[in-house]
Amino acid sequence: MAKESLTQAMAIAKSPDEAKREVKGSAAFVVFMADKGIFVFTAILIAASMTFVDGFASLQNLTDLFHRAAPIGIVALGMTFVVITGNYLDLSVVAQAAAAGVILIAVSNATNLATAFAVAFVVAIMFGLVNGIAVGYFKANAVIVTLATTYMGLGLLRLLSGGSQVFGPSDGPIATFGTSKLGPFPYSAVVLVVVAIVLTFVLSKTNFGFMVRSFGVNEKSTRLSGTNTGFIVVGAFLVTSMAAMVGGFVLAAFSNTAVSNMATGFDFQALAAIIVGGTSVFGGKGSIPRTLLGVVFVSILSNVLVLSQISYGWQQVAIGSLIVFAVTVDALGRRVGKK
Amino acid sequence: MRKSRLVLAPAALLSAAALVLTGCATEAEEPASTGSTTEAATEAEAETFNVYALLPQGTDQAYGTTYLPPMEAAAAELGINLTITNSQYDADKQASECEIAVAAQPDGIILWPAVGDAVRPCLEAAAAAGIPVTVTNSDLFDADKELSAGFSGPDTYGQGVASAEIMCEIVGDAEVSIIQLNGSIGNSTAIDRDNGFTDTVAANCPNVTILDEQNTDWTKATAQQVASEMITAQGLENIDGIYAADDSIAAGAIAALEARGVDAADYFITGIGNTFMGNPLVAEGKLDGTVFQSSSWDGGNAVRLMHSVLTGAAGPDRELLLMPSVKVTLDNATDPSVAPEW
Amino acid sequence: MSNQSVIKMGSESKGPLGKLRVTLARRTEGRAVGLFLIIATVVTLTQPLVFTAYQVTLGRIALIGLVALGLTAVILMGELDLSVASTLAVSGVIMTVVANETNVLIGVLAALAASVVISLVNAFFVAIVGINSFIATLGMLFALRGFALVLSDEQPVKLANTDFGIAFGQPILGPLTPRILIFFAIFILLQIFVSRVRVGREFLAVGGNRQAAYDAGIPVKRRIFTGFIISGGVAALAGVINALERTAADPTAGSTVLLASFAAAIIGGNYLKGGKGSIVGTLIGAASLGMLQVALTISGVQVPVQEIFIGGILLIAVITDPSSLRAVWGSINTVIQGLKNSRAK
Repeated sequence: MAKESLTQAMAIAKSPDEAKREVKGSAAFVVFMADKGIFVFTAILIAASMTFVDGFASLQNLTDLFHRAAPIGIVALGMTFVVITGNYLDLSVVAQAAAAGVILIAVSNATNLATAFAVAFVVAIMFGLVNGIAVGYFKANAVIVTLATTYMGLGLLRLLSGGSQVFGPSDGPIATFGTSKLGPFPYSAVVLVVVAIVLTFVLSKTNFGFMVRSFGVNEKSTRLSGTNTGFIVVGAFLVTSMAAMVGGFVLAAFSNTAVSNMATGFDFQALAAIIVGGTSVFGGKGSIPRTLLGVVFVSILSNVLVLSQISYGWQQVAIGSLIVFAVTVDALGRRVGKK
Repeated sequence: MRKSRLVLAPAALLSAAALVLTGCATEAEEPASTGSTTEAATEAEAETFNVYALLPQGTDQAYGTTYLPPMEAAAAELGINLTITNSQYDADKQASECEIAVAAQPDGIILWPAVGDAVRPCLEAAAAAGIPVTVTNSDLFDADKELSAGFSGPDTYGQGVASAEIMCEIVGDAEVSIIQLNGSIGNSTAIDRDNGFTDTVAANCPNVTILDEQNTDWTKATAQQVASEMITAQGLENIDGIYAADDSIAAGAIAALEARGVDAADYFITGIGNTFMGNPLVAEGKLDGTVFQSSSWDGGNAVRLMHSVLTGAAGPDRELLLMPSVKVTLDNATDPSVAPEW
Repeated sequence: MSNQSVIKMGSESKGPLGKLRVTLARRTEGRAVGLFLIIATVVTLTQPLVFTAYQVTLGRIALIGLVALGLTAVILMGELDLSVASTLAVSGVIMTVVANETNVLIGVLAALAASVVISLVNAFFVAIVGINSFIATLGMLFALRGFALVLSDEQPVKLANTDFGIAFGQPILGPLTPRILIFFAIFILLQIFVSRVRVGREFLAVGGNRQAAYDAGIPVKRRIFTGFIISGGVAALAGVINALERTAADPTAGSTVLLASFAAAIIGGNYLKGGKGSIVGTLIGAASLGMLQVALTISGVQVPVQEIFIGGILLIAVITDPSSLRAVWGSINTVIQGLKNSRAK
């Protein structure tokens, strides 16, 4: 918030008479890129990959891409709610997705699938409530709260599960789900799309979604308007927890395997996708389709880098640079737009 | 652990005493078993050692999970109080744990290096404090070996060699191209196995060409994803085989092949570990071979080696307890001696 | 500034007790001090080794705390630097690679020079381009980790001058190692900088109300550059110290550093949105965490139980902050009021 007003102030200070002028020419282009840049970048990336990268345009690779995008994408879609409320991120998705995956396979091995779903659901609710109440009602810092629940979650998971790698029978329903496809779309991609549609509806059409968005724009005025702000934060964390659970399910089903460290890195990877999509970490600005696009962009990038036999180090360099590039355009556009 | 042991120690003494008493009473019935229990109890009473075990993994990974129980069982049996740490492969964290261990003045330190290059200061500190160090799972560099009393564990380089030897044997004289899937980035075990495999292939069967290599984080899911993309990049028809640094990775690669509707049995695939996941794949003929790594051997012998150093049973030379790199192929996959452990 | 004078005027009417209360209320370290005292008491009673072997405990505190001290400089301005974890890794690699070609001194200088470049890039995106620092440095977190891997050929790099590294890890002043001394030197320098030097004091103003700071003629952009150079430089220093002490640089280092230093800074009462906090707070936060970690290690409790314990303490520490309790009390009051109102109807 403070920075935006600063940018505004700088813009006014530089060219007071331009403040109300209409945006024209190249400036208009930058504004367009800032708002819709991710669409353009994704289109360019796809076009370039199809032209220059052998095998990218194959049907099999489309399936691989969806496998790459689905688990992290589902988690990122849910986490968008927490980011929009201005609470930075939910680090505990690392523990939540792993817990869901291990529970899905271990409990369904021991009993049945329905019990596994029920247990995972209860665990997800617990995570969401603890995170949400601590951040929403106790006004505690979200980074530390979710760091704490990550430690506790992983510790409990390892203590209770014994920590080892679990895998299901190769002809079980989980394995079948993981390998089945609807045309070129693996079932996990279908889940990703369904989650995206549901969450788009929740964020843009429901009362709760409206409160989440307005909360992000201005917490104080939302509170003054009499809205129960704690409730909004709890809701946002619960949405994230549900998504992290589904993401964990999908990841576990993909390889029919689960282990407590399987979602390592999901926290910042999901955040990267959300940010590249154009959701502001200051809260307020953002949407589910944007995050989905961010996920697609980052997944294609990772996929193309492996296809091009780039070493792991350079892959990281490329991903990091592109994040900075994408947000640079966004920032430039916003500044020009302000003029 | 230590607190629970404090409570446990008197309890163990009491039960040992009870056993002695009942043992005398029931000697006629079960002389042999009672006798040995009494012996073990008195031995534990006589000499109890405090030992720090500085490990880089534990219940956060599949191997560590099955490594720990045999380690703790062996310690209980030999009367060793273990204090176990887990640095999660962070060299700086392990170095700090080493400082703590040295300050606590235990009878010995069991070290599983998180990063092999980084443990020399820890070894020197322990030596200066007169605390013997034994190494488990991943051995030290040659220059550092003089600072440790012994090593027990698998020969990680040798495992790569053994996996390569299986590959060379099944390939024969044919010109084949394979892709290579490594462990996680920068990890000592991953680097050793990589070197063991590539060195041996270059020396024994240069007819095997490695087309591309990628890291996998040791997980099946990542391996499955990356393997599929590597196959796309090379073209399925150009690939004859896959080397995986670990059986979970091999399982992922096999799943990636099967997702394309081809039979993994038609490909030359080798792994390392002979795990719960890998062994059945060998028996099914999908995985052509793997190298047995026994986590119970590894965990148990780490403590046994330390015990023999502490009791002076070990000689003045550096003790070496090398886990044999047993090759597991279709011929012996169901043999009880290679039953998977993790 | 104006806030302070208002507080002063108010306190005069309340007498010395009120003054003390106001001073305490103005400090941000309350929670950290409380946590520190509780941990210190429990640790003294259960694991006295933490104090008898104090140089070890200080070493652990310096390990988590050094990066946190630098980070605090940017947090005071309401900015974040996620790239410190990778800066630490890449500077260790640069120091070792250069030292192996030339000598350790040139290696250290090269690493610090690289950190200045990294910081300038970070600050450029934040202050000039106007990207939120959380995002700009997230990109740098990935990119720099990649550079560390590329430079090291994806393997740990051994320091050729092993003897120097070993010597560097030895105590030089009583039982204190160079790491501990550097840590305290940085603490004192930053503390003086932030509380006594004008440029440093302006950090808080920049974080509190950037518009007001701008209007008051504070060169906000230059302050942001300074802040990032401090956080990057200190992280690089930590990376160099780690690599020297270990006699090797690990390109994947720093995995546990980022979150630990955030935890230390926030437990120390630093407000992530800026304007509130202190270097002392971060020191106390790091000391609490370090002591707790050492005590847990010595206790030999199962590692998962340790994780649950650390997580639990973090959670309790952050929700028992006075402002947190006030917030909850407010919520409860609202509910009670709501119930009363509905009953009245």
